[in-house]
Amino acid sequence: MRGSSSTAERGARLTRWLVTAPPALFLVVFFLVPALIMAAASFREPGEFGGLAPLASTGLTLEAYRFVFDDVIYLEVLVRSFAVAALTTVICLLLAYPLALLIVRSPKRQRDRLVLLVILPFASNFLIRIYAWMMILGPLELLYTPFAVIAGMVYVHLPFMILPLYTNLEKHDPVLLEAAQDLGAGAWTRFRRVTWPLSLPGVLSGAALVFIPVLGMFAVPELLGGTGDLLIGNLIKEQFLDNRDWPLGAALSLLLTAAVLAVAWLSALLTRGRSAS
Amino acid sequence: MKRLLPALLLLAPLVATATDTLHLYIWNNYISAQTATRFEAACGCRLKQDYYSDNEEMLAKLEAGATGYDLLVPTGNAVETLIRKGALQPVDRSRLPHFANVDPAFRDPWFDPGNRYSVPYATSVTLLGYNATKLTELGLPTDTWALIFEPAHLVPLKGRVTVLNSPRELMAAALRYLGHSAQDTDPAHWRAARDLILRAKPYWATFSNSTYIKDLALGNIWVAHGYSNDMVRARADARAAGRPFAIGFTIPKEGAVLAVDSFVIDRAAPRPDLAHRFIDFMLQGDNAADVSNLIGAGNPNRAARPAIRPEVADEPAIFPPAETLTRLEMLRDLDPRQRRLLARMWTEIKVK
Repeated sequence: MRGSSSTAERGARLTRWLVTAPPALFLVVFFLVPALIMAAASFREPGEFGGLAPLASTGLTLEAYRFVFDDVIYLEVLVRSFAVAALTTVICLLLAYPLALLIVRSPKRQRDRLVLLVILPFASNFLIRIYAWMMILGPLELLYTPFAVIAGMVYVHLPFMILPLYTNLEKHDPVLLEAAQDLGAGAWTRFRRVTWPLSLPGVLSGAALVFIPVLGMFAVPELLGGTGDLLIGNLIKEQFLDNRDWPLGAALSLLLTAAVLAVAWLSALLTRGRSAS
Repeated sequence: MKRLLPALLLLAPLVATATDTLHLYIWNNYISAQTATRFEAACGCRLKQDYYSDNEEMLAKLEAGATGYDLLVPTGNAVETLIRKGALQPVDRSRLPHFANVDPAFRDPWFDPGNRYSVPYATSVTLLGYNATKLTELGLPTDTWALIFEPAHLVPLKGRVTVLNSPRELMAAALRYLGHSAQDTDPAHWRAARDLILRAKPYWATFSNSTYIKDLALGNIWVAHGYSNDMVRARADARAAGRPFAIGFTIPKEGAVLAVDSFVIDRAAPRPDLAHRFIDFMLQGDNAADVSNLIGAGNPNRAARPAIRPEVADEPAIFPPAETLTRLEMLRDLDPRQRRLLARMWTEIKVK
């Protein structure tokens, strides 16, 4: 008897391993290892032809970090990038919430069609869609402005807000709203006291899915932005591709990664706080 | 078997030529399809091209370990970098009977004294392209960097000017306008150039490396700091679309940046024999002319001149007269410390 139970236990453990190992391996190979390489690169000197200078001749140095913190300019760009990401997230939320509600409350057959419409833009290439925006904004004299950057960012990331909201709202039990109505709650109170609190996990995961990619996005400001629309993503790209200064690019990347992890941690903390209460 | 045999016979030449393949790593759209076909017929081999859009991209790929290329076509400063890295093999002049076609003005360049490793292929100049109709209307000069740096000229152009999204190129223009060399690395001169740029920036629409071609041709932008071959394309696009204005381009009188792209042979080239045959084929006048006729590039090949369309050949901004040539400079690579300093100035320029 003991033997068979331990076999079942071992089977369960094996299943757990098989299920968790691939994503864990994926994270180690594609997140942890590159992050460590990046961290190591930020303590080196740039090579003459790009890349890194030989470790033996230059050793480790804090020069890249000293250079970053020597001038407020890099922190200024980081703060500005956070502001753009926050604004994009708020606008996406304001646009996506009513749309997600509308989709959830339409008849089942239409619902699938509407969700398909949300995903449809992904069928064409991202750059082509941004070029289409250039053609829309050009004649309106809005191209190469901060407005164009926000419009492009919202456009690109809107589906990432709609989909988690939709999946969340779809699971709400309509009986709760009926009960609230029976108890005399008006439409606004029903939303504020029932729908909104229940949808918070969807709001937070949508916000994370928008906020974090916007922070690192460089193509939208580069194509739609004007002379002052430089974000941290552009700055990092420039260090690697145009300036051949890997250590400086790595130091800026780590700064961004630390900021993003802080936001993710904050969001997780908020979600946990909600579900606990 | 009866059916298999002809199939095998058909495959045989494919197998034979598959081994006779020349691998070229080159700028996008730099060799016309007709030229490539003619070369394949002449040598009985295949030409396979991979493309890059930027010297930095090419250097980065090679640095990351890309191999198997026979020929590359870098710009001067990248040629020099590749030579110093020991990534190239010398060209064998005895296998290039047409080398004599190279204009003496383009021989013995600073980046490769004596042309030991490189054979020049095409040139371009960083200059000002403009909506000629509009500028005449506004009574503005077209032959000076003042057009993009002086607020007096910029007021009527507000939001209609783009400059290159390249610290080296924009600083070079500002340095030349201030009377310095484009190669100048004196931090005080750099700061003066940065201040000049910051004073003019509020009037510019954006920093652009490629979209200005479309914007000039559509009439959205009236002045663009960019490359001569791009201006040729913008002019052709505007004409083809029947726009009610003309695109012009001029080398500013204060001087500008000249880029010379050359053929070089990778040190680990699998087929240096084919690479030499290709270079010599491209040195023949008619073949060399294609790059000017196709993309409006300047041409360092004397024998090519008669075969170049007059519209391109007579353009002084593409084939600068000797007197203008003395005011053109090729950019040299900066050392890592200078690159980092320039990068921070560039960030200041973008943010302020």
